[in-house]
Amino acid sequence: MSSPGAPSCDNYSPRSLSGYELDHYAGRIRAVVIQLAGEEWGGQDARVMPSTAGRAGTAVTAVSDVPRHALPAVRRSVRATTTPAKLRLLLIGLVSLCLVWGAVAAWVVSQRASGANDVASTSETLSLDGQQIYRALSDADATAASAFLSGGLEPINGPPSYQADIAQAAVHLERATAAAGHSPAAADLATLSAGLPVYTGEVQTARADNRLGLPLGAAYLREASVLVRGKLLPAARNISAEANVRLAAASGRATGLPLALVLLVAAVIVGFALYSAQRWLGRRTHRRLNRGLVVASVAGLVSLLWLGIALGMARADLLQARTHGSTPVAALAQADIAAQQARADESLTLIDAQGNDSFQADFVTVQHRLGPGPGTLLTDAVTAARGSPAAGPAAAAASTATDWYGAHRTVRSLDNNGRHKQAILLVTRPGPRHSFTLFTRLDRLLASAIDADQAVFNRHAVAGSNAFIGLEVGVIVLALIMAAGCARGLTTRLAEYR
Amino acid sequence: MRPPGWLRLPSVLLVTAALTVWVVPGSAAAYLTPPPAVPLLPPCHPSASSLRPTGPPRVTPGSFMEQIRDRGRLIAGVSEYTYPFGFFNPLQRKPEGFDIDIVHAIAKAIFGNPNKVEFKAISDLQRLPEVQSGGVDIVAHTMTILCQRLYYVDFSSVYFNAGAQVLVPKNSLAKGLADLGGQKVCATAGSDSIAHINAARSHPIPFPVMNFTDCLMLLQQRDVAAISTDNNILDGLAAQDPWTKVVGSPFTSEPYGLAISQQHPGFVRFVNAVLQQMRTDGQWADDYRDWVGHSVPAPPRARYKD
Repeated sequence: MSSPGAPSCDNYSPRSLSGYELDHYAGRIRAVVIQLAGEEWGGQDARVMPSTAGRAGTAVTAVSDVPRHALPAVRRSVRATTTPAKLRLLLIGLVSLCLVWGAVAAWVVSQRASGANDVASTSETLSLDGQQIYRALSDADATAASAFLSGGLEPINGPPSYQADIAQAAVHLERATAAAGHSPAAADLATLSAGLPVYTGEVQTARADNRLGLPLGAAYLREASVLVRGKLLPAARNISAEANVRLAAASGRATGLPLALVLLVAAVIVGFALYSAQRWLGRRTHRRLNRGLVVASVAGLVSLLWLGIALGMARADLLQARTHGSTPVAALAQADIAAQQARADESLTLIDAQGNDSFQADFVTVQHRLGPGPGTLLTDAVTAARGSPAAGPAAAAASTATDWYGAHRTVRSLDNNGRHKQAILLVTRPGPRHSFTLFTRLDRLLASAIDADQAVFNRHAVAGSNAFIGLEVGVIVLALIMAAGCARGLTTRLAEYR
Repeated sequence: MRPPGWLRLPSVLLVTAALTVWVVPGSAAAYLTPPPAVPLLPPCHPSASSLRPTGPPRVTPGSFMEQIRDRGRLIAGVSEYTYPFGFFNPLQRKPEGFDIDIVHAIAKAIFGNPNKVEFKAISDLQRLPEVQSGGVDIVAHTMTILCQRLYYVDFSSVYFNAGAQVLVPKNSLAKGLADLGGQKVCATAGSDSIAHINAARSHPIPFPVMNFTDCLMLLQQRDVAAISTDNNILDGLAAQDPWTKVVGSPFTSEPYGLAISQQHPGFVRFVNAVLQQMRTDGQWADDYRDWVGHSVPAPPRARYKD
């Protein structure tokens, strides 16, 4: 341990340092403790070393260059003059620094973890569930309308049936309600919870009346449709929109760089403080290593590595969840919702048979919004899905949409030329180039694309938030170990002066 | 299932509002307000306001009937919701009813084929505008011949006589509008039934909706206390809900006619000839038996202003 020629610890006298030097170091340590900022100690050490070595073994009464009585009283009380006093100051400083480090690291971790958790369990769930509720209810509306067209009975090879839609809406509503807590989405979820049974009640009454051949069924169907379009769909849209805003905030909190920077600065300060303390202690005591400080350093290094790996992995996962998960899913869901709306319009042009073209006008508007084409929902979704598992189905959906528009034009020209029944056939029965078949294909492609990317999102979001498991507690425990190590290492040295 | 009040009432209002937008295409929403007061009504006898036919129905060259024949179909404005006069049969997927069969008879007189008809489902509110604008050739839609309507359109001779009554739930104690003061009574916007409810001395609250089936739905949901309109329509609603009953006796006289544009008096005479034929050859009685009831009265006697 000791360098050749240097005195052993046992006969080493603390009085071998000049009062000036002791004063100097105590002031230095205090400055470090207070400012949490390191200065270059090495040069000082190099300058001090020879004098320390030169006086080895001699007991000299410390003589201060600065007369002690000349110092202001306050300064005198803070400024340590003896090595034990300096060690005591160093002890307090390092222990405080370790604890502060632990607190800062735990705070940063908790911020990130809660952000990641928000992404995975609250905001994204709400956003996706809101979209899925919209999708399911809109499809239920369209299915119910086309069921009415086909005489109160649903086509045998129909799209996801009305019942499946309602079950899906209920499942997502339940999940969203569980995730929402006291978020602003609660009011919209309450609207949906109260409205869904009313809607299904009205549709069931409509179906019962239709089965009896009563025109009353159509009145219930219209009332149900007005309830869905006027109240439930806007509520579902609000939930998604509101959750998307929160998702962006949570994602920023979980992946943003400023917090990581705070952590990095804190780590540099602690690392430097530990390094310098050991170096000073090594020179002062002629021992290379102090066991306590080494333990503290190792614990600090472990916590830094753990933090770096966990935060890095979580960030990568959450970014992946966003680029290949929530972003394409949101774009695809938008496209799907527009497709559902156009489908409902197509059915309603035939139900109403009013000779008015308001539904057809709406269909054309939605068609322009849906695309494919530059700046349209489908093209945006295909772009967003690039590189994700949804890329294939999304591209297929875009080309199917074009085919569907062609089939729709056939339906309209049949209906406009008095061939209402053939038009209804194309919309309600499967067959090659039938509007029914093509829309069903479009809808299934979009749904499978959404499912694929939602799986990507779930996998990465869960992985991203799992990266934080145990980290907060671990960082705190490691910080306590660091503090204990510093305390142990310096008290051992201090004990040598008694 | 009874929806909570906060959800129910707005949705009812939405029905009214949305159906206005939905069913009434664009500009027709303007007709929600009644047409401006007629400045000076010509002398009017609703039951004797039509033009006398010039013999059996015949498509003369250059006539409006020939235009229809060239077009390939008769365009008729009908109700989709007024069982059993004009309604969309969800099982047959086509409009059926007493009014519909009369339209088929007119198509048969023009084309020799009763099915060469394009049925255009319209609401009560759209009846006058559709005839005036030429959107339809004829309206067969439980339409009462009224002097204020004669100002805008022509009517055929009377083909059915109705009278307003009241429909209430079976357990209601009301016997007529007199017992329904301060309560909501439903009828379609644009029908003269709303005017009758408004004029009742007991001051019921008129509740206008788009179609009479909407009234029945509201009655089933207990949002209105009663429905008041022509007894034949009420009978049709009661047939769809056995837990309702028609009460009181008819308090108005409602002679039904087919509405035709004033630009086609030749077509009015032609339609009257078809109606006259139906009255005499038993078709009218068959139509009545099919849709209204087994005890068939004598058809309304045709009277003309010539």
